[in-house]
This record gives sequence, structure tokens and C-alpha cells, in this order.
Amino acid sequence: MHIRLEDRTPRPAPPTPQRKEEGEGPTRPDVKRPDNSDLLRRMRRVDPEAARRYRQRSGQ
Amino acid sequence: MMGLETEYGIAVEGCPVEGLLDAGMEIVRAYPGSHVALWDYRPESPRRDLRGFTAPMLAQDPEDARYDRPDRLRTPAEVERSDRVLANGARFYNDHGHPEYATPECRTVDDLVAHDRAGERVVLAAADAHEATTGRAVRAYRNNTDFHGATYGCHESYLTRRCVPVAALVAGLTPFLVTRQVFCGAGKAAIEEGGAARPGFQISQRADFVAVPLSVDTLYNRPLFNTRDEPHAPAAELIRLHVILGDANMSEWATGMKAGATSLALELVEQGWSPPVAPPDTVAAVKAVSREAGLGPVAALSGTGRWSAVDVQRSYLDAAGTAFGGRDDGTDRVLSEWAGVLDDLQSDPEDAFDRVDWVAKRALLLQFAEEEGLDPADPAMQSLDLAYHDLHPEHGLQMGLRQAGAVRRWVTDEAVAQALAVPPSDTRAAIRGHFVSRHAADLVSVCWSGLEVRYRGRRERIDLGRLAEADLTGWSERLARAVGLDETMTIMSQLEGR
Repeated sequence: MHIRLEDRTPRPAPPTPQRKEEGEGPTRPDVKRPDNSDLLRRMRRVDPEAARRYRQRSGQ
Repeated sequence: MMGLETEYGIAVEGCPVEGLLDAGMEIVRAYPGSHVALWDYRPESPRRDLRGFTAPMLAQDPEDARYDRPDRLRTPAEVERSDRVLANGARFYNDHGHPEYATPECRTVDDLVAHDRAGERVVLAAADAHEATTGRAVRAYRNNTDFHGATYGCHESYLTRRCVPVAALVAGLTPFLVTRQVFCGAGKAAIEEGGAARPGFQISQRADFVAVPLSVDTLYNRPLFNTRDEPHAPAAELIRLHVILGDANMSEWATGMKAGATSLALELVEQGWSPPVAPPDTVAAVKAVSREAGLGPVAALSGTGRWSAVDVQRSYLDAAGTAFGGRDDGTDRVLSEWAGVLDDLQSDPEDAFDRVDWVAKRALLLQFAEEEGLDPADPAMQSLDLAYHDLHPEHGLQMGLRQAGAVRRWVTDEAVAQALAVPPSDTRAAIRGHFVSRHAADLVSVCWSGLEVRYRGRRERIDLGRLAEADLTGWSERLARAVGLDETMTIMSQLEGR
């Protein structure tokens, strides 16, 4: 197997992504259904044609 | 012992489907975290079948082959796959245009979920790095379909005794696997047949693509059980049961329950327990449960029309509770969550909104359709379905649920952050991770069952295969304290001679 030299170089560990992701856990939400008005706004931004354009190679 | 491999869908700005093999490779290579690229493919044997034969060749998807460029053969497989072995013991690579993250070997469901979630962060970090380098937007999706006939998997591996006949494993687990989608289905706003999607909602992403109960093939005519005989462990005693039916879950609770309940069902079958029902046609049953939402009686489950998917799950739960209840906290947690979700699904499925992907997705889509005056059969529903699986924190719908605290967690953020950097301390992954993080320059090759290390002018092979089942907690603590390669190799020598 041919090994590329740059591939053998140890890389520094990546900074843990600092994205706003989620709250503390493990948690059990108090409500059966959350107030999802923010989520509905997010849904309105979805391009309705996104799935038509989304093409993938067949995987396993 | 278990592991998860998840292939992610990708969308790269300006990249057509023909370019995705290269795009997947470039994304994996952009990963900025600690790694080595020394994967050793020699022990792999994808055509050897558990049933005692070697397949002459593996089937390819003829539709997908249309996208292959004539010069594709010029790219060596190891370059295209671009395997990375990470410091947490995981493997990250490009599988046919999909960045794929294989967790390190895990002994507990908690570790498995944490490492699977760490895999999301690895994929996001790689996608971000690629986007920053190229200026082309990258999106990563944790799902299983493109709604045009292409699927990609989330595969589970469970270390299993070889003395249990394959036929017994299949008979014992099939009713469980056919019906577990009621709590671990990711949901799909389409029915896919013959490469085309029509409107509809079903509870599984993957069910439409199942063609046979078991097979060594994975790219075409996909099975529930992949029979590739590749234990990565002593082959005389062990097999790696490879389940490829499952969906990639956004809900970490669903990932935990999928692995936890399947492990217990497998233990039952290893002990000789038999389920009370046998679907006369496995493939038909998978599709029927998925499309009928599985909450009422499903004729395909038994041929009698008396059993619902929840009933079948309860038969496994009751047997597992009797056999394993009180054994340890991890088992009790799975049993408790399993009982709770079956109760909720039976009384009101919406009660499982915080745990079950298909319930949350269906509720969101229906609410949106109602508020926007959309027909639930509108093709835009598939775009919303896709958005549910988008890992982008500002665009993904399930990511929005996470941020709102509306989903039940299985592990803490701290556990996920630790899993991003550190292997499980009690499996052989701890040794693999130790060498990647501390002795990368001395490594010659790495695979699941071993390492080659350059030491004192010689190549030393470290056999991890025989450690497949070993609890290495004490040894990994010693490795963590080791100073330099000499001390590491002394510890490995002692471990070998123990």
C-alpha cells in the first residue's frame, strides 16, 4: 500500500465545534410537544425543490 | 461488543452526482482532527459468507453505475476511500461518495451513543473544513435515501458466538428486526419503488430498499442481515453479526434503543429463546410494518392478522426482562425505556415525539402542511423530510428540536465531547487510539484486528483480534500513564503474555 507522507503526520486535535447545538443532557423534556414556532420558521426557509435536486451515489 | 457505521449524504454546491465520489474523498481528507491514514485492507474479505462459501463477486447497482466516469478506475481504491483512523479509535472514510464514520468498538450503549454522536461532529468538522477551503457550501445529512432510488446505510455490528447457527440467529432475530422500526424508524415522506418516489408516509427510511432476508451483498438487493464473514476477532469462536436494515437516527435516544434492545434480543437468541411469531415473508413484513405504521395488527407479521409490531416487541421485552432484568444499570435502562416507548406508541404515538424520529417528523410535517395550506402529498414534504436530517445547526429541523430541548437525550454533551477525543477505555479501541494519539509517527498500518508498529528497527505486529472481548480498563489506564514508546511496548508485551 502506498502511503502519502502528509497522511502520516499526526494532526492536532480539532477544536470541539462551538456551534450552538443543544442543551444539557441527558434530559427528559417536560412537555409532550414543544412550542415549535421557531421550527416552523425554519421549515418555511426550506427550498421546496431541495429533494428534487438532492442526488446521491448508491451506498451500502 | 458492538459498533455502528453511518454513511452520510452530502450536498456540495455546484457538484453533480457524478462528482460525489471525489467530493466524499475531499471532505474526508479535509478532516482537521488528529488521525493517521494507514488503513490496512489486507484482512478484509467482503465476499466470504457466514454460510460457508465465498461469493464469486458482489452485485453492483446498475442504475448507480451510470454515474461512473470512464477514468474512475485510475483512482486506486485506497486513495478514493482515504481512510482515517482517529485518536478516539474510530475509522472515518469515503464509502462510494458518502463520508462514513465507524465508531470504535463499544461495550456499553452509552459509549456507543456518545461515539456515534461524536461521529456527527467529525463529519461536520470535515464538511466545514472543506467548505472553508473551497468556498463551496457543504451540507451533510444523516439519512438513508435521496428519493431517487439511491440508499446508503447505518450498519450495526454485534460480536456473537459462532456456535449459534446462522439459521437460528436469523429465525430468532427476524421478528424483532422487522418490528423494531416502530421505535427506531426515522420516518420517510415517500414510498419508493423502482427508483421513483410517490407521496406517502412510512416509519422507516430503509424498508423500501430491503430485497432479501440475508445476503453478502450490500450495494444491491440489500438484505436485513449482511452475511459477510469478517469477525475481526478469533474466527473459530466469534462472528460479527452485521445488521444493515436499520435507519440512521437523528434521535440519539433511538440510536441507543436500537443498539440496546437489539443486543438484548441477540442475547436471548444466543441462549436458545425463540420468538412466538415468524413472518411468512420477511421482506413483505418489513415493508408492511413500515407502511402501515405498525401500530395495529399487521397480517404480514404472522399470517394470522393477530399480531401488531408492538405485540411482537413486547414478547421480546418480556423475555428480556425476565432473563436480564436487574443485571446492571445499563440493561435496566434499556428495559425501562423499551417498556415506556411501547406503552406510549400503543396509547398515543405523539407521546413519543421526544424520542422517536418518525413520530416527530410526521408531526412536524403535518403541522406545517396544515398551517401553510399544503397538501401532505405535496413533493415539498420530501424537502422537509430531507431538512429533518440536515446536520447544519441553523437549518436542520431535528437540530432545531435539539436546540429547543425538545428531544430526550441518552448521553450528555460532555460525554460526546470526550468521545470525540478519547476511545472507550474498556475495549481494544483504547490501544488503537493510544497509538494514533501518542505514537502516530511509529505506526506502519492499522486495522480493526491489529496494528503494525516500527520499533527498534523492526516491524512489530500487535494482535488486537484476540482482545476483541477483553475488558481492557486497567490496561488502558496504564497506557495513559506510559511515557514514550518503550513503556507502551512493554505494556503491550505484558498484555500479550497475560
